[in-house]
Amino acid sequence: MESYRKANENELVSASLEGDKLAFGEIVNRYRKMVARTVKGMLGDSVFAEDIGQEVFIRLYHSLAEFRGEAKLATYIQKIAVNLTLNEIKRRKRSFSMFSQKGDDEIYEFDVADHDNEERRDAKEMVTSALMKLDPKFRIVVTMRMLQGYSTKETADALELPQGTVLSRLSRAQKQLKEILEKL
Amino acid sequence: MKRSEVKNLIISSLGSNSDPREVAGKLEDAGVTYDFSEGFTNKVIGKISSARLVVNRELEFVRNMSSAFYRIALTGVAAIVLLLISIYLMEGSISLNSFLGLGDFSDESIICLLGGN
Repeated sequence: MESYRKANENELVSASLEGDKLAFGEIVNRYRKMVARTVKGMLGDSVFAEDIGQEVFIRLYHSLAEFRGEAKLATYIQKIAVNLTLNEIKRRKRSFSMFSQKGDDEIYEFDVADHDNEERRDAKEMVTSALMKLDPKFRIVVTMRMLQGYSTKETADALELPQGTVLSRLSRAQKQLKEILEKL
Repeated sequence: MKRSEVKNLIISSLGSNSDPREVAGKLEDAGVTYDFSEGFTNKVIGKISSARLVVNRELEFVRNMSSAFYRIALTGVAAIVLLLISIYLMEGSISLNSFLGLGDFSDESIICLLGGN
């Protein structure tokens, strides 16, 4: 993928459309962390999140022809990631309500071991755990804001929500997070 | 970064006065980073390639089927033509009767044949 390291978005998209897998591999490498923040922020650091991450890029590959370059590729990928993640949360809710009374925060038990030092791991676990306890509609705005570093407008664009809704959800999420973090 | 500092950072990150990029950067420095496992890119490329392989196999199957059908149809047409030629040579015409092998029979002889008398 060395040959595409300096290529711009449009060059990568054009090459990928011609079937160049190295070019698409470069797209995956560039945006995998961004997708991981969204997917793992929403679903927890689990193997399921890994599968959803792969699905995001497979969907991207099959819909690249529809990408017209009007928006940034990052925004386009982010929308796919958000949609697939929210669908997965809905799917989980349905299957969990059918088979058990467990809450949404009790299904993230497949933590992948991290070899960072204890303090760093502790910070990550605390953030992930707090996020998992949030209502999904608040969790997504917090993930965009806190992990992706998106402004209110960028969050609103990515989630296709009015800015007012994003602001009110952030405010309510802040209150919920305070209560959650006090108990952690 | 201490636990209490991370907590404060999380809470303040949602405030309207905070700079989200700065907070995200600080959290990343504190260890709140997410990434997929090693070999993630190769897995994605592998899945895309295998999906394409399945599509190619399906296309090949359809192509093989149509070529087999074409051959069978050609052989069938050739057999029908040969049958018609042989009937014409044997019976001298290609009427329905000669096709059914009834060219030399009169109506009475057919009745006798079917009646057993």
